[in-house]
Amino acid sequence: MLGKLSWQAVPFDQPIALAAGAFVVLVIVGALVWVAAKGYIPYLWREWITSVDHKRIGIMYCLLAAVMLVRGFIDALMMRSQQALAFHAAGYLPPEHYNQIFSAHGTIMIFFMAMPFVIGLMNFAMPLQLGVRDVAFPTLNSVSFWLTAAGALLVNLSLVVGEFARTGWLPYPPLSELTYSPGVGVDYYLWAIQISGVGTLMTGINMVTTVLKIRAPGMSYMRMPIFCWTTLASNLVIVAAFPILTATLAMLLLDRYVGFHFFTNEAGGNAMMFQNLIWAWGHPEVYILVLPAFGVFSEVVSTFSGKPLFDRRSMIVATLGICILSLCVWLHHFFTMGAGGDVNAVFGIASMIIAVPTGVKIYNWLFTMYGGRVRFSSAMLWSIGFMVTFVIGGMTGVLLASPVADFVLHNSLFLVAHFHNVIIGGVVFGVFAGYTYWFPKAFGFVLDERLGKAAFWCWFVGFYVTFVPLYVVGLEGMTRRMQRFDRPEWYPWMLVAEVGVLTILCGIVLQIAQLWVSIRQRAKRRDLTGDPWDGRSLEWSTTSPPPVFNFAVLPVVTSDEPYWSIKQEARARRHLVTAEPDYAPIEMPRNSPTGFVTAFFAVVTGFSLIWHIWWLVILGLIGAYVTFVAFAWRDHTEFEIPAEEVARIDRANRAARAAALAGEPVR
Amino acid sequence: MSEPSDFDAGSYVGADRVPGQPEGRSLALEVRGYLIGLGLATLLTIASFWADQTREIYASGVAMALLVLAVAQIGIHLIFFLHITTDPDNENNILALAFGVLIVCLIVFGSLWVMLHLNHNLMPMNQLMQMQR
Amino acid sequence: MSSPALRLSVDPALGPAGIAPGHVTGHGAGGPAPKRIIVGYGFWIFLLSDVIMFSAFFAAYAVLFKNTAGGPSAHELFDLHSTAVETAVLLASTFTCGMASLAVGHRNQKWTQIALLVTGLLGFVFIVLEIREFSSFVARGAGPSRSAFLSSFFTLVGCHGIHVSVALLWLGTMMAQFYAKGFRQDIRHRFLCFSLFWHALDIIWVAIFNLVYLVGSLPPELLP
Repeated sequence: MLGKLSWQAVPFDQPIALAAGAFVVLVIVGALVWVAAKGYIPYLWREWITSVDHKRIGIMYCLLAAVMLVRGFIDALMMRSQQALAFHAAGYLPPEHYNQIFSAHGTIMIFFMAMPFVIGLMNFAMPLQLGVRDVAFPTLNSVSFWLTAAGALLVNLSLVVGEFARTGWLPYPPLSELTYSPGVGVDYYLWAIQISGVGTLMTGINMVTTVLKIRAPGMSYMRMPIFCWTTLASNLVIVAAFPILTATLAMLLLDRYVGFHFFTNEAGGNAMMFQNLIWAWGHPEVYILVLPAFGVFSEVVSTFSGKPLFDRRSMIVATLGICILSLCVWLHHFFTMGAGGDVNAVFGIASMIIAVPTGVKIYNWLFTMYGGRVRFSSAMLWSIGFMVTFVIGGMTGVLLASPVADFVLHNSLFLVAHFHNVIIGGVVFGVFAGYTYWFPKAFGFVLDERLGKAAFWCWFVGFYVTFVPLYVVGLEGMTRRMQRFDRPEWYPWMLVAEVGVLTILCGIVLQIAQLWVSIRQRAKRRDLTGDPWDGRSLEWSTTSPPPVFNFAVLPVVTSDEPYWSIKQEARARRHLVTAEPDYAPIEMPRNSPTGFVTAFFAVVTGFSLIWHIWWLVILGLIGAYVTFVAFAWRDHTEFEIPAEEVARIDRANRAARAAALAGEPVR
Repeated sequence: MSEPSDFDAGSYVGADRVPGQPEGRSLALEVRGYLIGLGLATLLTIASFWADQTREIYASGVAMALLVLAVAQIGIHLIFFLHITTDPDNENNILALAFGVLIVCLIVFGSLWVMLHLNHNLMPMNQLMQMQR
Repeated sequence: MSSPALRLSVDPALGPAGIAPGHVTGHGAGGPAPKRIIVGYGFWIFLLSDVIMFSAFFAAYAVLFKNTAGGPSAHELFDLHSTAVETAVLLASTFTCGMASLAVGHRNQKWTQIALLVTGLLGFVFIVLEIREFSSFVARGAGPSRSAFLSSFFTLVGCHGIHVSVALLWLGTMMAQFYAKGFRQDIRHRFLCFSLFWHALDIIWVAIFNLVYLVGSLPPELLP
């Protein structure tokens, strides 16, 4: 009746896993009980869970990412601690458990921390920057978010019921085939990624369409903010790459479930093809992550240098160049698999070429700062930290791009240090900068700067203390994913790395403290004008937080820094430049439970597929189909905001800004 | 026709076309367009089957001929059924299509190139011996 | 003196941002595109992503083509008569789908339903033929778990078949919606997406019947 599911699926015999699972269950149940007791459920359902507003969805994405950051970081802590203890010793994590932890760490950090974070930031800021009311397909946006959350839920469920994959974050066959991984771990991974992958592909389609077809009047391509260009590039890569992931994981699923022979050892399967196809997705994936981070830095550096971005044109060309090149280098992840000198050389050269447009971007940011009046806010610190760290990581990447060097360093800790260098230095610092930068816009109050800077320094120093030792031991020959080792030269470095990860832990604690303190002091920290940073792009012309319709009247854009040019003129005259517009009623899309319900059935279907509960699979699929039809059968898809309401909100915004211009304190 | 929603605002006549949308000419012309497409596609399909069976084409070139015919048939579909043209208002559609074609070529030909090399260098022993027999 | 940087009331003769109507830029500078364009373009991008997914299956098929593990090869298995009928049926259904598009454009309920019904029946015939072909392969011991070649063949062609089956479900839903709610704008947009989907499925079939069936049925000496 319940397929492979039984009480043995709960890890009663593994104390660490049991404790972790129990803790997670307690936290989740506790949170739900608290929310219900306080009566927040109707509000949450009405305003957040069924919301199709890009701002709300963006915030939920970032919230999911923040929670998963903590979960993934705990995995990292456990790994570092194991390696610091396991010199000529067994450590505290048996190999079967350790293997699950490094697999979960990578899977969670990439799919459920980094992707949601950048997608959340793009969701929140891009429509505001384009001067429009929402993305192209708001309900689809909600579906995307909830499918991603469904995938995250499945991965975390594996902690409590069953096990996770032991194959690493990319499940190479033959290890991931049924013969060598007969348990449910790989299945949890596969279905979680397939479900969230559909959500991500929908996001890609949504955002490409938005950037290309929905912009304020007058906003030609050349006048789009650079963050929107990187949004376009990143989502084009999503549309190009995620179908490959879906297809490849589907092939592995067919091998495991129905006895196909794509990657098996027998009957002509070719395990190498898995690596080829999965990295054809995997390399573009990291550019999907880093391109929006580059966009954030363009916005932050320009704002906090008080200067327009240096040479927008080359920035745009570089962005598109990275977009296309990222799809041409995937073999550098398996130089050592044996494609031969010719093939390796071509991909090696391509991998080095891709550093060039990135270098162009770095120079442009530096030249933006040069001659500007730089304000070292915490967002700017993250950006400068990025420039230093990412360049180093990029250089080790170019080093690895040489097949000759890679033959020595492939799958060593040098590689691990390299990719953490670029992902933490690039993506993580980028999302932290974006989070700090757009937080006031989202919530209406500014984060505590002192705690933010302290968190930055802990992360920055902690990063180097953790990963420079890994470069060293990687050069000395230590391979990745080692549960224990016996080389004395490596041992001191493992201890240093442990100190580093504890420093990063301090950084995370400080970030949590920053959030806590800022929320408690929010009355004092209110952003009254909507423009706390003296911004240059259109999102800063709205209130903080913006009204549901973003702009009372879509702005007409005539320059590439539309808000800045109006603001400068208004400052010169000390009053608002524009006349009060003719307010018209605004139609906005209705909220919809479609996303949440679809994800519910996705979780049911995924869980029952993992445990082979076939009747429940069918029920889940029927439920999903019924949800589609119910959604398609809606008659009322929009609601109208009357002109008086629009006028009231906009007049308050105008009054606040007029007061700021006149120098009065804003009430 | 429902009232234009906010998303309909800001557009003007002649702006942008979408694939698959009939061109809005007279019914007779439209049907004729589809019939021509059907006819050409049928001819090319028959040509494909003929190329497969016949001896007229240089033997090793048949596979290539089929590839070319497939591309031609896809072209007919794009033009006559999906109404893709080179008008400036179709620009975004063509760019997206070109992007898709680029990715497809990268994946298919890139994978083939890589895997052929890998298979050659890492051929299992029994296959190698089979080749030598 | 009003600044040239911002003009909130728009001269109707010029269109937003001073661009004359009829002067198509295609660059989105005229403000948000109409809903029909947004929906159509979004679906076009989705279709391209679907084609990319098929290309991954194509790549796997091409790589595994020769891995027959001692089992039947393409040349021994494929029956081109069945393929020819499937091709004809699908091509005809693409044509009737085009007729349905015209009927919808002219708001003609009767011809819309007729054209869609014929399209659906032709699609159904295609699926039946394909299932028959697959069953016959399985019965001959040439099922998907026999060899890597067969796994990749069944997956590629089967994936297309699943897409056609889902499209038939969608077709039925569209017929019901047109019948129940008439030619409302959002239903027409949805139908635009459906017809794009249906045409794209025939495009993918063109690639399949040429490169899988016809190339596969060539004697092995003729293959690269």
